[in-house]
Amino acid sequence: MNIDFSVAWQYLPILLEASVMTVILTVLSQTIGTVIGFLMALGRVSAFGWLRTLVGIYVWIIRGTPLLLQLFFVYYAAPAIGVTLDAFPAAIIAMSASSAAYNCEIFRAGIQAVHRGQIEAAQAVGMTYARIVRHIIVPQAMRIIVPPYMSNFISHAKNSSMASVITVQELMLTAQMIYSSTYRAIEILTVTGAIYLFLTSCLTGLQLYLERLTSYEERGLSRRRRRQLLLDRPVIGIAA
Amino acid sequence: MRQQIIEIQGLRKRYQNGVQALDGIDLVVAPREVVCLVGPSGSGKSTLLRCINFLEEPSSGVVRVDGRRIGFKEGDGPPRRLAARNIAAMRAEIGMVFQLFYLWPHMTALENVVLGLVSVKGYAVGEASRIGQEMLRKVGLSDKLEAYPEHLSGGQRQRVAIARALAMRPKVMLFDEPTSALDPELVGEVLAVMEQLAAEGMSMLIATHEMDFARKVAHRVVFLDKGRIVEMGTAGEIFDRPRHDRLKRFLERVGK
Repeated sequence: MNIDFSVAWQYLPILLEASVMTVILTVLSQTIGTVIGFLMALGRVSAFGWLRTLVGIYVWIIRGTPLLLQLFFVYYAAPAIGVTLDAFPAAIIAMSASSAAYNCEIFRAGIQAVHRGQIEAAQAVGMTYARIVRHIIVPQAMRIIVPPYMSNFISHAKNSSMASVITVQELMLTAQMIYSSTYRAIEILTVTGAIYLFLTSCLTGLQLYLERLTSYEERGLSRRRRRQLLLDRPVIGIAA
Repeated sequence: MRQQIIEIQGLRKRYQNGVQALDGIDLVVAPREVVCLVGPSGSGKSTLLRCINFLEEPSSGVVRVDGRRIGFKEGDGPPRRLAARNIAAMRAEIGMVFQLFYLWPHMTALENVVLGLVSVKGYAVGEASRIGQEMLRKVGLSDKLEAYPEHLSGGQRQRVAIARALAMRPKVMLFDEPTSALDPELVGEVLAVMEQLAAEGMSMLIATHEMDFARKVAHRVVFLDKGRIVEMGTAGEIFDRPRHDRLKRFLERVGK
């Protein structure tokens, strides 16, 4: 068996171009899935039983069926209700829906990890629910959420390869097309794998950065925050 | 009649699990008055405090703070429940200190004190920080402004919690067993701060097991048992000349 990477080298620009589509698919659907997942997580812990049930059913269905099936379903079911969807929007819808379900559960765990007493302390100071979410729940939930959220993000990036089955011209489909015409599967798959590995490594880097960002007591106050709080100047006494 | 700072009439609270935590409480706290609530655990002290700032919604009865009905809007017809925003605004005028402090662990001591001023009262961060630093100085923690709660002792945490409540300039302070979770050697520093507050004329309602403190600071002591006020009087009347058997037994048990 002869291995010849010159073919892979020759097709590298095309593979890189296709990986742009993979990045767009992943980041766009993960972003939409993050926003919707966050709102659903708030619904999942809300005081309204019907809302908790509704979100629970959604998570149950989406998490319990294969993404591959969901991709086909959106792609083929849309025309049945009179909408024609291109492959790309269909993929974005299916992948966002999937991302939202997983993120909902991750966010819920983060929110529920914040002690009830801390929320009561915020209520006692007179904070409204929106402010409590912003100042008390989200910053603390963040550090709990980051590792599972990023794990999920990495899975999601790899799962974007499934969009190839509905003809989205992303990295995996492009690779398949190249090796089926050049018969250089090993070389092309090796290079493609390296590109995936590079993309997911970026996400691992992002995870490390976010973990550092949320480890507040090791970093202490930022210089900007200290300036805002007037801690960068000698204490000025005021009348009690 | 002189305006009372807290007025409670016929307050009852029954939890969903069927426990009758409060069974008809009538109580007033006058401005500048310090009232201590004593009684066995489960007697309703906590629930009473939590009904005053509407962390618990009373099953029936009326609570007023500075003349305003808590949680409800009164006018023509039956009282209507206030919107969440208005309930929050009412709570901002009532300081509360919890047994387990409940500082926000992701913020420094100063930020814990400043957050309410900025996010509820709309102060600029710099101005809020001046007030926050002043409050932390008042509770003896000027050197801990940038410390995170996990690096503070229990007594220090509770003093930050008191500063956090005081910064809002509340009309009344509620204390829910503020020293019960502290190591014995740390109790004194928290009581000293509270004693100073009392001396400055803050209206205070304090659930406590610290009988010596109650004797020293309280204008009135209220003995609660099974959700009712059993006996009420000066510290001398309650501790030295108890009338009811239940109070006598309670005092024997706590060894006073």
